[in-house]
Amino acid sequence: VRKHSEHLKLFKNKGKDETTLRRQRVEVSIELRKAKKDEQILKRRNISIHLKEENPSLGEDRADAGIIQPSLEEIVEAVNGDDTQLQLLATQATRNILSRHKDPPINQIIELGIIPRMVEFLGRADNAALQFEAAWALTNIASGTSEHTRAVVDGGAIPAFISLLSSPHMHVSEQSVWALGNIAGDCPLYRDALIARDVIPPLLALVSPATPVGFLRNITWALSNLCRNKNPCPPLDAVQKLLPVLIFLLQHEDRDVVSDACWAVSYLTDSCNDRIQVVVETGILPRLVELMDSPHLIVMTPALRAIGNVVTGTDQQTQEAIDAGVLTALPRLLRHTKPVIQKEAAWTLSNIAAGPSLQIQQIITCGLLPHLVEVLDKGDFKAQKEAVWVVANFTTGGTVDQVLELVRSGVLKPLLNLLLAKDGKTILIILDTISNLFLAAEKLGETEKLCLLVEELGGLEKIEELQNHENDMVYRAALNIIEKYFFGEENTDLEPQTGQDGMYDFSVEKQDFNF
Amino acid sequence: MELSDANLQTLTEYLKKTLDPDPAIRRPVCSLTAEKFLESVEGSQNYPLLLLTLLEKSQENVIKVCASVTFKNYIKRNWRIVEDEPNKICESDRIAIKANIVPLMLSSPEQIQKQLSDAISIIGREDFPQKWPDLLTEMVNRFQSGDFHVINGVLRTAHSLFKRYRHEFKSNELWTEIKLVLDAFALPLTNLFKATIELCSTHANDASALKVLFSSLILIAKLFYSLNFQDLPEFFEDNMETWMTNFHSLLTLDNKLLQTDDEEEAGLLELLKSQICDNAALYAQKYDEEFQPYLPRFVTAIWNLLVTTGQEVKYDLLVSNAIQFLASVCERPHYKHLFEDQNTLTSICEKVIVPNMEFRAADEEAFEDNSEEYIRRDLEGSDIDTRRRAACDLVRGLCKFFEGPVTGIFSGYVNSMLQEYAKNPSVNWKHKDAAIYLVTSLASKAQTQKHGITQANELVNLTEFFVNHIQPDLKSATVNEFPVLKADGIKYIMIFRNQVPKEQLLVSIPLLINHLQAESIVVHTYAAHALERLFTMRGTNNATLITAAEMAPFVEVLLTNLFKALTLPGSSENEYIMKAIMRSFSLLQESIIPYIPSVITQLTQKLLAVSKNPSKPHFNHYMFESICLSIRITCKANPEAVASFEEALFLVFTEILQNDVQEFIPYVFQVMSLLLEMHKSEIPSSYMALFPHLLQPVLWERTGNIPPLVRLLQAYLERGASTIASAAADKIPGLLGVFQKLIASKANDHQGFYLLNSIIEHMPPESVDQYRKQIFILLFQRLQNSKTTKFIKSFLVFINLYCVRYGALALQEIFDSIQPKMFGMVLEKIIIPEIQKVSGQVEKKICAVGITKILTECPPMMDTEYTKLWIPLLQALIGLFELPEDDTIPDEEHFIDIEDTPGYQTAFSQLAFAGKKEHDPVGQMVNNPRIHLAQSLHKLSTACPGRVLSMLSTSLNAEALQYLQGYLQAASVSLL
Repeated sequence: VRKHSEHLKLFKNKGKDETTLRRQRVEVSIELRKAKKDEQILKRRNISIHLKEENPSLGEDRADAGIIQPSLEEIVEAVNGDDTQLQLLATQATRNILSRHKDPPINQIIELGIIPRMVEFLGRADNAALQFEAAWALTNIASGTSEHTRAVVDGGAIPAFISLLSSPHMHVSEQSVWALGNIAGDCPLYRDALIARDVIPPLLALVSPATPVGFLRNITWALSNLCRNKNPCPPLDAVQKLLPVLIFLLQHEDRDVVSDACWAVSYLTDSCNDRIQVVVETGILPRLVELMDSPHLIVMTPALRAIGNVVTGTDQQTQEAIDAGVLTALPRLLRHTKPVIQKEAAWTLSNIAAGPSLQIQQIITCGLLPHLVEVLDKGDFKAQKEAVWVVANFTTGGTVDQVLELVRSGVLKPLLNLLLAKDGKTILIILDTISNLFLAAEKLGETEKLCLLVEELGGLEKIEELQNHENDMVYRAALNIIEKYFFGEENTDLEPQTGQDGMYDFSVEKQDFNF
Repeated sequence: MELSDANLQTLTEYLKKTLDPDPAIRRPVCSLTAEKFLESVEGSQNYPLLLLTLLEKSQENVIKVCASVTFKNYIKRNWRIVEDEPNKICESDRIAIKANIVPLMLSSPEQIQKQLSDAISIIGREDFPQKWPDLLTEMVNRFQSGDFHVINGVLRTAHSLFKRYRHEFKSNELWTEIKLVLDAFALPLTNLFKATIELCSTHANDASALKVLFSSLILIAKLFYSLNFQDLPEFFEDNMETWMTNFHSLLTLDNKLLQTDDEEEAGLLELLKSQICDNAALYAQKYDEEFQPYLPRFVTAIWNLLVTTGQEVKYDLLVSNAIQFLASVCERPHYKHLFEDQNTLTSICEKVIVPNMEFRAADEEAFEDNSEEYIRRDLEGSDIDTRRRAACDLVRGLCKFFEGPVTGIFSGYVNSMLQEYAKNPSVNWKHKDAAIYLVTSLASKAQTQKHGITQANELVNLTEFFVNHIQPDLKSATVNEFPVLKADGIKYIMIFRNQVPKEQLLVSIPLLINHLQAESIVVHTYAAHALERLFTMRGTNNATLITAAEMAPFVEVLLTNLFKALTLPGSSENEYIMKAIMRSFSLLQESIIPYIPSVITQLTQKLLAVSKNPSKPHFNHYMFESICLSIRITCKANPEAVASFEEALFLVFTEILQNDVQEFIPYVFQVMSLLLEMHKSEIPSSYMALFPHLLQPVLWERTGNIPPLVRLLQAYLERGASTIASAAADKIPGLLGVFQKLIASKANDHQGFYLLNSIIEHMPPESVDQYRKQIFILLFQRLQNSKTTKFIKSFLVFINLYCVRYGALALQEIFDSIQPKMFGMVLEKIIIPEIQKVSGQVEKKICAVGITKILTECPPMMDTEYTKLWIPLLQALIGLFELPEDDTIPDEEHFIDIEDTPGYQTAFSQLAFAGKKEHDPVGQMVNNPRIHLAQSLHKLSTACPGRVLSMLSTSLNAEALQYLQGYLQAASVSLL
């Protein structure tokens, strides 16, 4: 949420402090919209038989079809019994129930009270099949709500899964990776509990050139969940251990691996400037910029997010992103058919435009202005709103010549058209931007020219109309512009008294002066 | 107050009295009256509950209504709890009100329901949701009542509670509230929407039921807009199918029973469809990604709606909303295909645009009977909600992608409409009006008041149309025939003045002058306006396009017709005509001199007449501008003529000043300044008689008077300082009192300095000697207590001017006489650090000369502790010459003028043609201040050889030294 004081700074084009203009990814505590569809999947259930078949590492010692499903009572009895064969069959049956496509009865299974027993099975190094089935079942329980994940954690599964990472049976260790991914993704508390129990070294040990790609995808995804979530963000030493491997994974040829690695970096950069610095120092920015150009949405989206987060940082960090070539990657993204990509790209640009005039100059030099104008003119509304911020920041931090260049690029017409937007905040920012433009015009002695241009482009009548806007701030900003540019400021103790002659008395008492 | 029958009875009596038509009973001067009584008891506990009891149970309907209004006003005044102020309604009353008001509202008759609904939304604004958690559930539960009187009450209340979501900024509080509302309200509202629509088909033949149901639908559609405004809620995204399908079918619905006979007032069906257009437009603009699948259907439905909707005024809002929807969609690249087809385009042009451009009976009525309003809409663009305007926007929207085809289609229409007209002009003149309007909207792509059309559609031959279809109408011998077409023709010249070649404009000028005589207000106003606009056009070399020489044959008829037009009924204070008069004077210059005696008589008569009741600010402004022009033009050729203007004007001016005509006083002072400045010799006694009056505090309390009065006093000082010193010395304290008044204000301090500078520059030194110390003490106090950048800039200019006038030593002595070491402090803390902020050519020069004097003509600078400031001061001076101006303003000052924004009309109206010439008090003394510095330093170094050089070489920074050497070289002097 952008602060009011920030707005006033924008408004007067003074006290420009680039860092306050940069807008972090907004922390939304309340959302009216549907959950975002472009986010990475937080938790996953193992439901697909195809997935297993594609994936020979999962072993072939399981017969999925043709088994007669025991009742829940039978399952409880068998799981709690001593017959290993029955334990396996019951665990497998549980896993089957939890793997059905629609509405797995996770609550019912938890209520059976068999989780502690399943966790015990994880420790049966003599029976890999049982370990595997229990791990699978627990994975799918942990894939549910936070409540469900807690049931698994409270059952003591964390240490058991961590030791299974080093299981000699790849399908067991892979299933454990999966379960741990679900636990890590649930909340910062579990994530940090895993890290505290040293999940990272055995997890990283699984990454090698020989790791099958399917397994690697799972590992990368679990790693990304270890980077995920804020308040607090993951411990610094953990991040430092993860980063070299993430960088390695970013070079992988499999796009799912690259995608999840990108998501991981995007989580690490969605943080304070110190954390951004840790990522920047790895020298990964050029690769991320390269990935912004990927033809695959699943790669481009997190790469753009990561770079977008980096440019919320310091001027130096932003400069690193510019040097890595972000400005040449943005034009294509600003025109992307997916509105959300357009929006993220415009948001990224807005934070670069919030920088010093040197960086603004690079925006110009790299030919971004025509693309900016195009987004303002024809972009999706969400992208248009961000583009308005680009212009606002540009006019706040840019030199007079740069602002002139911006106006010459044709930004005014679409900007003024957006005064019709059904969004008070956007209108207010545009009005502030217009004030900035007028300040620049005043310095050039071109106020009148700008007045005519605004009128010609239909802006004057829109600003006049905004004097009827219901929102008080909008109304006042519009009125201010109209009064200042289109039509048309006490010290009581110094005020003179009126004397007997009816005129002002000229008198003053001396005091000590010290300036 | 107890909830007793006795109290109810008393209250009833007093409520009754408030209704008494006799104000003596309602509010007599002394005794305790009804309204006073009610006010005196409203702080008592149970008072609001007594009112609620009355409005529910009183036997008399008037008392019920009166109690409900009194209750609402009571809530409005008292419900809000203001920090640090007592809670005006006791907690138990608050709880009781909230517990009872909803059911009470719902069971009340409509008149009372509306008052209570308003009261609920006032309470809701303060208490909802935290302090009134049950409100939503209570409302939603009523949806199931099946009683649409109750349901509409709930919907209306909900609408007044939720409509602020449309304009408030996103915040956590707001979104938390909206989320809460959505969770409790969205589903029941959707169910109600569906149920209401079903009921509409079951009751399709029951007119009274339909009316209630459609009122609900309108409120539901409005609630939809409010709830969907901030963002697209998950619920509405999931239920888009339900809402949009139903909205769509409602757009296409018609029912004879809902049609109204009224031609003006929009009926329920129109209001509903209009709101649905708004809802669709909201989704199309903000949630395009999700709405895309539905959009084409809405385009078709809205277009069909337009094709089938009549010309009556009651459909105006609907039609203009519907057209604006199409206009906004057709400009989007990904919807281009919906319009691309030639048949579609033709059909839109033919069935949507052309019909809505027709001149309707209502327009004709406005043209004749309400010409001011007509002109405002037609000329000044306050036509945003009109059909013509919407149609015009749609033409522009379509031209973005389809300029060629659209121009082609319309050319055909224009031709056929012109043919219709030609067949029988007196019957078919409206066809030609539509044709002209169509050409205008098709051709104009961008427009300003100053230049008319600035970008035109190149596919339209504007000159050809002008010669063939516009000029013939204007050449007709009868100026009063087809006034609408005449007005169209004149407007055409006016807006396309930059597209039509000059020779055609010259041909038009006598035609326009001729139409100043038309009886129709619109026609002669347009003629005056067109002339005024033509006269402001620029040709090569920035000169006027139309020259005074080209106008020579028409001067007399132009002036005659303009002044005659002011005598036509309805135009006695026509600002367009007055502006044309001003512009004509300005263009024609000395060729108006022969007509001035007659002109100035007419202007003073007008001035006298309007000063009785000034009502048209623009008219008045241009009238004074015209007077100024008359004076300047005449006196430029013949300075003696100033006396005849004074003779003609002073009588009226005296009357204006005596009657205190506030609107005119600032103008009068400006004209007087202009006249006084025209005098070459000593100030006339007539002016001196007025001098004491100009110092009256009452005049200075009005901010609008300050700039012109300061200017006038400056003129007095320039022309009559010695007279003031000799004949009005007793007024000097009063004059300085004005200065003190102005300096006390952050807004007006610069005006105070203007006055002070004139006093120092022009008054004989001995006449102000005794006040000088006081003046500085005053300035130092302001500096100490509330310095602003503007004040410092003015202060620096003043002390340097003082230094130039009285010498540097005098400046040092007076400072140090106020407080020891004061001079050094001012140098160190003010002059050296701030001099860079001084702006303006003349101001900088004054400061340069003043500082040069301090450096070179002030002995204490060379031989006291002030010596250490010598180099820093020189450095600051070189900085003033060479560095860019420092325009930074400290942070805390940015906010000054935002909070204290003056009223809409700036109180001071500066006359352009009364303008003051820039005055350079050091102009004669110093031509080039850099050379002057070099020469002065040379002189100083000659007086004390070696010292200047040694100071320079030890402490002046290298860059400054380099500049200084440059000055010395340019002055061909060297230092010893």
